[in-house]
Amino acid sequence: MSAPRAASTVVLGLGNVIHSDDGAGVHAVQRLKETPDLPQDIDLIEGGTLGLSLLPYLWDAVRIVVLDAVDVGQPPGTIVRLSGDEIRSLRGSVSVHLVGLADLLGALQLVANPTQEITLLGVQPASTEWGTELSQEVQAAIPQLVRAARELLCRWSQPLEQAAG
Amino acid sequence: MARIVVDPVTRIEGHLRIEAQVDGGAVSDAWSSGTMFRGIELILRGRDPREAWIWAQRICGVCTTVHALTSVRAVEDALGVEVPENARIIRNIIAGTQHVQDHVIHFYHLHALDWVDVTLALKADPGKTSQLAESISDWPKSSKNYFKAIQDRLKALVASKQLSLFSSGYWGHPAYHLPPEANLLAVAHYLEALEFQREFIRIHAVLGGKNPHLQTYLVGGMSTAMDPNEPQATINPERITFLSELASKAQEFVDKVYIPDVLAVASFYPDWFGRGENLGNFLSYGCFPQGSIKDPTRLFLPRGIIMNRDLSKVHPFDPANVTEYVTHSWYNYSDGDQKAKHPFEGETNPKYTGPKPPFEHLEVEQKYSWLKSPRYQDQPMEVGPLSRMLVAYASGHQEVKDLVNAALGKLNAQPTALFSTLGRIAARAIEAQLLARHVSKWVDELGANLAHGDLRIHNGEKWDPDTWPREAKGFGFHEAPRGALAHWVQIEDKKIKNYQCVVPTTWNAGPRDANGKRGAYETSLLKTPIADPERPVEILRTIHSFDPCLACAVHVVDAQGRKYRVLKAS
Repeated sequence: MSAPRAASTVVLGLGNVIHSDDGAGVHAVQRLKETPDLPQDIDLIEGGTLGLSLLPYLWDAVRIVVLDAVDVGQPPGTIVRLSGDEIRSLRGSVSVHLVGLADLLGALQLVANPTQEITLLGVQPASTEWGTELSQEVQAAIPQLVRAARELLCRWSQPLEQAAG
Repeated sequence: MARIVVDPVTRIEGHLRIEAQVDGGAVSDAWSSGTMFRGIELILRGRDPREAWIWAQRICGVCTTVHALTSVRAVEDALGVEVPENARIIRNIIAGTQHVQDHVIHFYHLHALDWVDVTLALKADPGKTSQLAESISDWPKSSKNYFKAIQDRLKALVASKQLSLFSSGYWGHPAYHLPPEANLLAVAHYLEALEFQREFIRIHAVLGGKNPHLQTYLVGGMSTAMDPNEPQATINPERITFLSELASKAQEFVDKVYIPDVLAVASFYPDWFGRGENLGNFLSYGCFPQGSIKDPTRLFLPRGIIMNRDLSKVHPFDPANVTEYVTHSWYNYSDGDQKAKHPFEGETNPKYTGPKPPFEHLEVEQKYSWLKSPRYQDQPMEVGPLSRMLVAYASGHQEVKDLVNAALGKLNAQPTALFSTLGRIAARAIEAQLLARHVSKWVDELGANLAHGDLRIHNGEKWDPDTWPREAKGFGFHEAPRGALAHWVQIEDKKIKNYQCVVPTTWNAGPRDANGKRGAYETSLLKTPIADPERPVEILRTIHSFDPCLACAVHVVDAQGRKYRVLKAS
């Protein structure tokens, strides 16, 4: 436990748990921790809104799942999936205090990180006002989000020939 | 005459907005607006005070540990709990590490691009860059081949159009003055700083647990296990050695990379020692206790106030003199908005009266910010590394005086040059240098206690709420990397009755008060020359020099208009 050495697969829950649905990704990663039968050697990180400070946790990651609230203009609770360049092209930011996900991924490229696969599983928030509870719609969607993450992790953990078939 | 709007200053929508009036090529007036409501006080009401820190550390995205620390201190102050020496030392190590880490990240990853034109680095001669590097430092990574490799990496990134991190600069702006070689050097160190933070932050992983949000605070001390003979204990002799190694490496990076870079960049921008000057009022609560936190004379960085740029006198600080106005803030006080309130009487009644977004300009004659206006003895104050270093310097802190004088000597500048945009940058680097040394010393102290069998780390006397008085109130303070931070807590019937935070960026970024006195950002922008109102990099230079933090906020990824797949519920 002495160091945040990243495992080759990392699940990163983002968001602020005192802004209601903004914290959906963190709630989901907490729930995922309690899920039995997860593949071995996966790092589950409650990333909060730490931005660039999360870089050490992703440094050596080959596969990354990001769980987050995503505003896609869909009904609250809708689960969406983005991958690869779809995520990298999200709006970036120069603030280190709330550095955008795109910037975190940009920094990974700068440090020659070996990421091969990255998937964002997101949930459309209903509210990001101050509050520690999720909205009903997002609360109800968390199990689906967790299930989607678990399925992805299981698929990734299979040997390549099986995954291909 | 033109009104420039910079919103968002950190390119995050809805946090910090600056409106500046430009007359004859210079700023004639400015307004700073926090555009995001901060309601932590409402979240904490009614909770167990022993858990307040867990919520408080989520106030800010990056400053999590400073809010956790300030919160446990506020509750300890209210309940009259003294923490054991080991807890005090571990808190100093964690906080000192945070300062060094934060200052390095701020300089290279937030602020450098206001001074460094990344695109010019592509034109640099790697051989000359090597000569430049070796002329300012004996840091080993300085060969021609090393800089050539960095330049090639940068070229590849530019070719792949994946330069998102660097996409925001005003490249080619006439206010950039560094030669291409200095730009390449800065880009190389930008990358090295990323590696630096990866290693150095392992100190937090050892002392705070694996989660990026530290888990080991407790009201009354820490929950970190100390045992000289237990290989599994968090703190054992092996771990002390590990911490010492990390601290030494950090010291070397700050001494040989960060400090020389700051001095080199500053030498190309001498005008900025005369710009961004502020109120001349500086506040430091002091921090890093060397003994009981109740004894201000035992604070490693001293406590005090400097008024009107007068470094010959340091006034004592009394928390009773802190008040907050809401005259120009989107809140109501129950007895009217013209009078300031002490945080113990503080109220958080949000009432937005501004224009409906999207709007062109704020109604600056009325209310225009979600930040309150903190005042000390009714005067606006600047907080942050510059305030801390000036208070220490004026208090006769020998180590600080030596470091400040050494830096000023190399820049051929007088102490009054510190009242400026570059002064803030220099003070931050000097503080990192000072604290990197002291993290090493605190690790040694902890190691000595471990060796002597002093393993006490938590004082549980007041843990049981039945031991508490029915009513109690406390003041918790810390000097966060970006300035004076305080929490005021009132406890009644074992629960939080009121909780008020006055954060550094509120001191610096707050709006005018009832007397029309500008806040620190607003004053510091006056007279700043603006070469191109469409690209006001000069405004960013000064505002970023404060290390603004308004990220007390929301993080929804905006994917409107992007491709995504909806997963159907199964």
